[in-house]
Amino acid sequence: MNLNWLSAFLITGLFSVVMVAGLALLLHLQLGLTRIANFGVVGFFGTGMYVYGVLYVRVDWPFGDPWQFLVCALAGTVAAGIAGTVVGWLIADLDVDAMLLGTFGFATMVFILATTQKSLTGGALGMGGLRFPYKLGTVKANEALWLLILVIIVAGILFYVARVHRSPYGRMLIAVGDNEALARSLGKPAFRAKLLQFTVGSAGMGLLGVMYGVLERFLVNTNLGVELTLAAVVALVLGGSARVWGGVIGAVLTIGVFDIVVQSYLPLPKSWYGQAIPVVKQMVYGATLIAVLMFRPLGILGGMRRDKLMRRVHGA
Amino acid sequence: MEFIGESIVIGLTQHAPLILAAMGFALIYRLTGTINVAYSETLTLGAYFGMWVNTNLGWTFYFSLIPAGLLAGLLSVGTYFAFFRPAKLRGMGALEVIILSFGLSIFLRYGLQFVFGYPVRFYDVGTTTTYRILGTGVSAFRVMALASVLILAVGLYLFIQKSSYGLQIRALASDEDLAKASGIRPLFVTTLIWFIAGVAGGLAGAFYGVNSNVSYLLGWRQFLFIFLVVMVAGRKSIGSVIIAGAATGIALAALNLRLSQSLYAQLVLILAFMVILKVRGRRMAETGKV
Repeated sequence: MNLNWLSAFLITGLFSVVMVAGLALLLHLQLGLTRIANFGVVGFFGTGMYVYGVLYVRVDWPFGDPWQFLVCALAGTVAAGIAGTVVGWLIADLDVDAMLLGTFGFATMVFILATTQKSLTGGALGMGGLRFPYKLGTVKANEALWLLILVIIVAGILFYVARVHRSPYGRMLIAVGDNEALARSLGKPAFRAKLLQFTVGSAGMGLLGVMYGVLERFLVNTNLGVELTLAAVVALVLGGSARVWGGVIGAVLTIGVFDIVVQSYLPLPKSWYGQAIPVVKQMVYGATLIAVLMFRPLGILGGMRRDKLMRRVHGA
Repeated sequence: MEFIGESIVIGLTQHAPLILAAMGFALIYRLTGTINVAYSETLTLGAYFGMWVNTNLGWTFYFSLIPAGLLAGLLSVGTYFAFFRPAKLRGMGALEVIILSFGLSIFLRYGLQFVFGYPVRFYDVGTTTTYRILGTGVSAFRVMALASVLILAVGLYLFIQKSSYGLQIRALASDEDLAKASGIRPLFVTTLIWFIAGVAGGLAGAFYGVNSNVSYLLGWRQFLFIFLVVMVAGRKSIGSVIIAGAATGIALAALNLRLSQSLYAQLVLILAFMVILKVRGRRMAETGKV
């Protein structure tokens, strides 16, 4: 297959768009439906990435790829899910301020562990030794297939999120998010529903961390900055936090514009790419978040379809 | 005994700005009931502007505190009028306000980096003599910094607790409608609160900056502990914030002395604070059910 049209920049840019779309979809279930303020997205992402990396590189496995990859990826995903259960147990019945503190605190703890456990993670210097679980000949072909696998995974997440929206469980999550006290008074297991949702969402974020780690092939703690959480939040809020496709559209409009259009196609001076563009990108993300919340709080796609249907039916 | 003395001296001299920053953060938190993530950038602005005045205009560190604090106060008021007041008037929910302040924080953080440049910067304060306090060596400069922070913290505490404006601030924080009915001008008092909070943040940032260095992440790196202190101290009074801030500084220093890496101290304290909030949250939830 001729891959000449696919540049390394484009592969990385597309990977970022799809990955952030996946994170925003999972965040949609937590923040958009259940109203769990998860500001520690990067913590769960990093848990998956580092657990996978440490197991893959530091453990002498009796079998090679693809089993080595599958076992380590499963461990990374499960570890992020367990972390989600513990953090979720801590915060799920607390107010939004404590949720912010708990999730943000967890992300900071993951960063600290990634920095201090040098014998395992390589600390601030980073850790190499990761590779694709297959060999197709060229690096570009390997990366293109990895991108395709990520697209399939995120499509699976999208399918899951759409199913949750239409299921009785999804309706319970919406009820819990809208008015938890009322949902509880009607006998709905609000805490358990939130905890389960947080666990599944966190595991999904861990899996995306695994995918990113393999693409990068070198893990470093600077990947655990707040910028990734910001990207997922901006994508979700811009697209529409109440809608299934909101995170996907938001990721295309934010990451797609900056990581693909600006970085690959705009004829900007080379000196800008080192420092100016990344800084301006974060400023634009911050400004976008403010502008959307001030002028179109429901995002581009607006409110939930069922809300629109109810308004039409009841003439409100 | 030596360990306790070292912990107290190091904890208070290194982490005194935490008390000041937490007081400012608590003022806004008590009034609005929401978390202003962008408060961390008032620290960064204070540190950057103080450093700029100190290194470019040749002002001493202590004189540079004046413009640093004032500019941070104005930034705080500016963000209130530009974003937080309109958000309140539009009936924005608590979660949305937090996300809004998160976006504002990112915008200001990288905006400050864009304006003041990318390299890490330093204050020009020269070298000072070292004093021994409870057997621990502390530079004269740090002693002065601690004294300044304590004076400012006590001054702010007295202003809030004893002055007529402080009474108005507390009244507004407790019950806005009753405060209005009592003749208090909410807009003036609210503006005053945001200004004082910003000044406290800016001064804290300048102290943080002079103790180490100035970078765009200065405020953000302190935010979690400022937030933790205020949440653990609760909403009751500024006095409890001062006590919680001082205790946190001493605990961090003690853990630093006992553990092999300073980041482990932060790890232990974050974990401890999260457990405290969980236990307290449960109790509050049970009370709520009754």
